Amino acid sequence: MTETVPTLTAPISLSTYHQLSLTVESANIKNSGLFKPNPYLQVIIDDKISRRTEVIKSTLHPKWKEDLTVLVTPQSQLLFRLADYHSFRKDNVIGEKRVNLLKVLLHCNGKCDNVELNIDLMKTVSQENSSSVSGEVKAAELVILLDGLRVDPSILTQSHELLGESASSGGPLNDGVRARIRIRNNAESAMRSIVRSQNLRPPPGPPPLSNGTLQHGGPTGAMGASVPMGAGGPGAAGPPGPPGPPGPPGLPDAAGPSHADADAAAPGVAVVYANPAEEPLPAGWEMRYDVYGRRYYVDHNTRSTSWERPQPLPPGWEVRRDARGRVYYVDHNTRTTTWQRPDTERLARFQHWRGERRHVVAQGNQRFLYPHPQPPHQPDSEHDLNAAGSGGGSGTSVAVPGSLLAGASGPAPAPPAGPPGGPPGGPPGPAPPGPAGAGSVAAPDDSLGALPAGWERRVQPDGRVYYVNHKNRTTQWEDPRTQGQEMSALEEALPPGWEIRFTEEGTRYFVDHNTRTTTFQDPRPGAPKGPQGAYGVPRAYERSFRWKLSQFRYLCQSNALPSHIKITLSRQSLFEDSYHQIMRLPAYELRRRLYIIFRGEEGLDYGGVSREWFFLLSHEVLNPMYCLFEYANKNNYSLQINPASYVNPDHLLYFKFIGRFIAMALYHGRFIYSGFTMPFYKRMLNKKLTMKDIESIDPEFYNSLVWIKDNNIDECGLEMWFSVDFEVLGQVIHHELKPSGDKERVTEVNKEQYLQLVTQWRMTRGIEEQTSAFLDGFNEVVPLEWLKYFDERELELMLCGMQEVDVDDWQRNTIYRHYTRTSKQVLWFWQFVRQMDNEKRARLLQFVTGTCRVPVGGFAELMGSNGPQRFCIEKVGKDTWLPRSHTCFNRLDLPPYKSYEQLCEKLNFAIEETEGFGQE
Amino acid sequence: MAATRRLQKELNDIRQSGLKSFRDIQVDESNILTWQGLIVPDNPPYNKGAFRIEINFPAEYPFKPPKISFKTKIYHPNIDEKGQVCLPIISAENWKPATKTDQVIQALVALVNDPEPEHPLRAELAEEFLKDRKKFSKNAEEFTKKHSEKRPTD
Repeated sequence: MTETVPTLTAPISLSTYHQLSLTVESANIKNSGLFKPNPYLQVIIDDKISRRTEVIKSTLHPKWKEDLTVLVTPQSQLLFRLADYHSFRKDNVIGEKRVNLLKVLLHCNGKCDNVELNIDLMKTVSQENSSSVSGEVKAAELVILLDGLRVDPSILTQSHELLGESASSGGPLNDGVRARIRIRNNAESAMRSIVRSQNLRPPPGPPPLSNGTLQHGGPTGAMGASVPMGAGGPGAAGPPGPPGPPGPPGLPDAAGPSHADADAAAPGVAVVYANPAEEPLPAGWEMRYDVYGRRYYVDHNTRSTSWERPQPLPPGWEVRRDARGRVYYVDHNTRTTTWQRPDTERLARFQHWRGERRHVVAQGNQRFLYPHPQPPHQPDSEHDLNAAGSGGGSGTSVAVPGSLLAGASGPAPAPPAGPPGGPPGGPPGPAPPGPAGAGSVAAPDDSLGALPAGWERRVQPDGRVYYVNHKNRTTQWEDPRTQGQEMSALEEALPPGWEIRFTEEGTRYFVDHNTRTTTFQDPRPGAPKGPQGAYGVPRAYERSFRWKLSQFRYLCQSNALPSHIKITLSRQSLFEDSYHQIMRLPAYELRRRLYIIFRGEEGLDYGGVSREWFFLLSHEVLNPMYCLFEYANKNNYSLQINPASYVNPDHLLYFKFIGRFIAMALYHGRFIYSGFTMPFYKRMLNKKLTMKDIESIDPEFYNSLVWIKDNNIDECGLEMWFSVDFEVLGQVIHHELKPSGDKERVTEVNKEQYLQLVTQWRMTRGIEEQTSAFLDGFNEVVPLEWLKYFDERELELMLCGMQEVDVDDWQRNTIYRHYTRTSKQVLWFWQFVRQMDNEKRARLLQFVTGTCRVPVGGFAELMGSNGPQRFCIEKVGKDTWLPRSHTCFNRLDLPPYKSYEQLCEKLNFAIEETEGFGQE
Repeated sequence: MAATRRLQKELNDIRQSGLKSFRDIQVDESNILTWQGLIVPDNPPYNKGAFRIEINFPAEYPFKPPKISFKTKIYHPNIDEKGQVCLPIISAENWKPATKTDQVIQALVALVNDPEPEHPLRAELAEEFLKDRKKFSKNAEEFTKKHSEKRPTD
């Protein structure tokens, strides 16, 4: 590897791509006919990239003032071709000239700063014999302004021999090209360059990376350091030299030097065409052969290699470098930028994403948690949800523990006296039903174990205990260790003399020993009235979710801060504006009421605007061009962190931002457009991930794990060791599952441990840093402890809200396996669905498809892991079994139950038990 | 690499077993994830030539199955113009981590020798195969002579 280091220097200097601003100013065309032409200028770089100006109608003196930013190497050939536009026949070339950029650079000492070129465009007189130079006449004069290209003069000197002539610095340019440097006080062009830099920035964000400039940064330049490209194996140990092809490590060692020499000796052949019939390679790419004669492709822009021939950039796309020399891609069609080279698949995903956009706002108005008054009702957290809870305060006069910044010795406002006999950590202000009713919350003595990281227990002068969250510098009365548990305390707290029993069918009922009566109605205050759990639900779901939600809302309110924060954004740069404003504020400020203003749009934010903002921004962060998130599998709508997000140099900052943003959505009771995968929610809840969790994100991998689990592996030569590999962006990443795992063979005896470790790895590989950044950001706004009330499915419901589910559409688009449309069980199933309320339907849908949302186009567009996949009900197993689901295939395994009641009971159980269910 | 040892062993086993129908196995020792080899079918009309295939193993092998593609053009109902082949043994539903590459190759050789027109990738060839076997054989043989590689002599 080391020997290749010097050899790359040469190609970097002379065949490295630089950005050049090329302004086509004007032309003077010699009059040669009756009609005035409709001229436009075409600029062709190295016979590959072609750019053109607009057509100006009917003139001999066109003025374009058009800026074309192009990628060139110092030795690029620029062909300027002035043509006459015809709408129905072939455009007529007025005149053209080929300019060698190296000569221009030599002329101006390597600095193309505001260099005006005056070019004579020639036309061959005899069209038959266009190669004859003698037959050329001057047809027009063209004025071009070059700007923004600087090349080290010392590099240029070595290029003299390349030109085969002794061009001296400042010397005259050859035939028909005149150059002069314009004085740079031209306000107009200065303006223009500012506008330019504003219009199309590199992909979002303040790039904090500061290693290496490309002009001088030999092989250890920026990309080598920030994007690990070494292909593992022997090559990776060396200094970050030229990236090898993804597969064969060490190959470039052999292939590298000779090629690099060739590059230096014969510039201009850097791009080799294998086959003239093939499309030319995109700028900056080169095809090489390894020692085995196999082709691979070198991308000098990103200094990476690939086995696959790169697709040329789609129309309207351009490669650029930012100020630090990092390559990014500009899509002039949509005026956006991205770090990842657009390929067909990415563009398709982008199209899909853009397609959703139209529906985003409309969808936002259809989501709800509790459609009490009207269906499209938005849960104004303060009122609605509190009312839904079991009693509680007015929600307005909440005492707020002060910010630590105030320097007060503890929570500032003295709350009213806590409930008698209540815990010392009783809540300030209106007592939540939980601790008050329970009276059994453990004292914060350290039987509970250590506080979560970043928390501290403090005592007020009056002896009252409170808790400091150093992560976001806030305080609260509640002990973070018991927050999630108080609920279950309440769950059991029946009035004196009451008892819960279950019928033989498992239906819960209540015994009142005081009056010697029984009832199905829950006697506790706040419990919903009326019969419930009619089919033996172990724990009335609806009630408990509402209750949990009210607990969470209570925590949010009681830790709210007064006043509001203003966030002003423009729709065009929603992501960046939001990023800057949210990251600029201390995290606790984000708990203030939000006041969102879209620039140029009047209107007061009474909730509607911020609702829209949450929805739009949450859709924006999923933009595949940001490379931050990806769909769980090809067509699953749930999102997961993209292990390749590191192509975006600032990805961790963005994940932190998104963490804050998602926490804000929960805190302020707003919905986001699209939810995350179940394993991601589980990670937020710090729950252990199981093998079954892999099924929803990578069914193939999961099947193999199941096979290993179910079969005796000692005799089948699996040759597995405690180490694993995966591939990101063509790079294979090796991981030992435990110390010296490479040396420990997997056997029947230790395979349990292996499966556990592999599961852990599969769920975290390549995304750990990003997840931590996300959770950090989240935790600053909403302590993760507050989520302990919920399971992963409830988290999704809370975050995404629910939609009205159209049962007719659902039934119409359902298919059956081993059942028919008219099977008893199928009829019962739909009867069951129709008698459920929306929340239950959402949960059932979530159980089978992994998400509670329906695609924009309805059930007909439901997707599975391998493309469109309708909702499917399959007859599986015996009536003693529980229903199972395969979220990647949207399939419900419904055993042939004997009665409607049995079907309801089993389905209810399946929907409501989230843990341990469906795992056989 | 995690897959290396397994593949190394499989490769040695295959080389030692001296398969008649799969020859000339070329593996770049620094990238054992890609194999090339020559399929040498026994049955007409393919027994007039040999067909180069490439096997690509994913980094996650054997959790994920390998992919096979034909580098030599072949007139076959189950192999399309791009050289893609649909082989049940390496499909997502059937894949098992214990499946060995030599089993995969044997399944492939069997498929080449005896096309399965019920699961065609090229419907028009499958139809021809079923309706006019003579014509199919003639076409396939001509195609094989024109495009396939030379059979090893030994």
